[in-house]
Amino acid sequence: MLPQLLANGLCAGALYAIVALGFGIIYRSTGVFHFAHGAIYTIAAYLTYLMLVATNIWWPVAVAVALLGAAFSGVLAELLVYRPIQKRRASPLAALIGSFGIYLFAVNLIALIAGNETKVLRPGVDITFEVGSVILTRFQLLGFATFVVTLVAFFLFKKSRLGRLLTAFSDNPALVEVLGWNASVIRIAIFAAGSLLAGISAIISVMDIGMDPHVGMSALLISAVAVVVGGVKLFEGAIVGGVVLGIVQSLVVWQFSVRWMDVFTFSILVLFLVLRPQGLLGKKVRLEEV
Amino acid sequence: MNYLLHILVMIGIYLILTQSLNLVMGYTGLLSVCHAAFYGIGAYASTLLMTSWGVNFFVALIASIVISMLLSFVVSIPTLRLRGDYFVLGTLGFQAIIFGIMYNWISFTRGPYGIPGIPSPSLFGFVFDSPSSYVSLTTAFALLTVGFVYLITSSQFGRVLKTIREDEIASQAIGKDPLFFKTTSFALGAGVAAIAGSLYAGYMRYIDPTSFTIAESLFLITILAIGGSGNIKGPIVGTVILVVLPEVLRFLQIPDTVAPNIRMMLYALALILLVIYRPRGLAGEYGFE
Repeated sequence: MLPQLLANGLCAGALYAIVALGFGIIYRSTGVFHFAHGAIYTIAAYLTYLMLVATNIWWPVAVAVALLGAAFSGVLAELLVYRPIQKRRASPLAALIGSFGIYLFAVNLIALIAGNETKVLRPGVDITFEVGSVILTRFQLLGFATFVVTLVAFFLFKKSRLGRLLTAFSDNPALVEVLGWNASVIRIAIFAAGSLLAGISAIISVMDIGMDPHVGMSALLISAVAVVVGGVKLFEGAIVGGVVLGIVQSLVVWQFSVRWMDVFTFSILVLFLVLRPQGLLGKKVRLEEV
Repeated sequence: MNYLLHILVMIGIYLILTQSLNLVMGYTGLLSVCHAAFYGIGAYASTLLMTSWGVNFFVALIASIVISMLLSFVVSIPTLRLRGDYFVLGTLGFQAIIFGIMYNWISFTRGPYGIPGIPSPSLFGFVFDSPSSYVSLTTAFALLTVGFVYLITSSQFGRVLKTIREDEIASQAIGKDPLFFKTTSFALGAGVAAIAGSLYAGYMRYIDPTSFTIAESLFLITILAIGGSGNIKGPIVGTVILVVLPEVLRFLQIPDTVAPNIRMMLYALALILLVIYRPRGLAGEYGFE
């Protein structure tokens, strides 16, 4: 029983980790609490649905369109909303309110076009595989494989010149500009990359379990909790946080009930904020510095 | 006529909610995402007192204020030590936890089934069960709330709150403890929100947890962001616009299936445009600049 639950948790956590990594990269490097990350998740989900069902196109094309759509929406949010707010040197909370506006607009536009009801892409029960003593579905394996690929790609990127640039930009954007880089271009690239990660997670998840216009909200909340649990100061924090949350949720469902899952998730958030604000990976800091 | 009175009752209830959030968000600068939780705590506290113990509405109302204020310390003591985004996340966490408890502790709150048959408020034999009598009740409490927030914020206490909002270190330099003032402001906001909750329960005569969600908390913030906060008129402007707008859309013959989505898109556009071009909202004084 336990290995199966851990495997289920790990596979759910793998998808959490991907979307949370996108949120974490944007939050850590631009300081924007990107509430609209949830809207981008929903956009990718519905683009996949639109492509696969309405146009009946070959699936890799559908996936590519959905990912491009996600990245484009992220860039649009930066250009139309965050940049003017940032130019005004407003408090980060102003960007948060603007971001919530984007979320509200996009999600209601989608509901207006596609309706509020749940849509599914895969009828019936999924094909399963036996791996040792645990049984996994095709989409669980796909999700985990994608997670491994994303992880490898991320660590290769982090070691590269551009990866070091991202770290430098997160620590001190002004200094990066002094070195001759264009901060606006870097921000655009960050929003594109972060949104791409949201898109990847969204596509795999909704192909498996379907979607309604509010899927993005839970993805966003999970991402925010994962980033806090793992540690805000490190990009890897979101990955660790996502996997840990997936496993903890799976164990809560087993020990208690699925009804109490949210209460546990957010209790973990509050406990971390109060007792370990630097997260699992972070070094000990004073509360004021976080 | 009853339709008009219904809108007036809702304006009254929302005025109490937004003015109490104004104290926390507008005057103290704390972007709390758990105001709907205290609204819900007020509604459930007075409902359970009335239905389980047969307590009179007005006694239950006072008890619900006390309960909400006491529970506010559970939220504020851990979260008020956090800053900026982290305070927002902490209150968001508590909002989700409190909603989860209301929804899942079925033996106590009846969870998703809700509580029907809440008695109408009565005072010395007079029962507030007609729309016109309820308008006078909610309007009276709304006016009391506006007066209370005005008195508090124009006193020395209110000026300290504004100082903390603008510059916390400066407030410490003049010997005021920011944590004490923030905790008090947060508790007062929670207590007043409980009044709105009790009035809502007595008016609808049925409550369930879906009225007290994260989305409701975010809606209250939206009202303040659009109308403005940090003064008395901002929340009034915001409340009137956002409570009346859905009815205007109804008169424009927009079908009911799409009206809620169009309404939310209009709110969202207003939110984005205001936060870029006019962060203080339509009539406010403070806006996270």
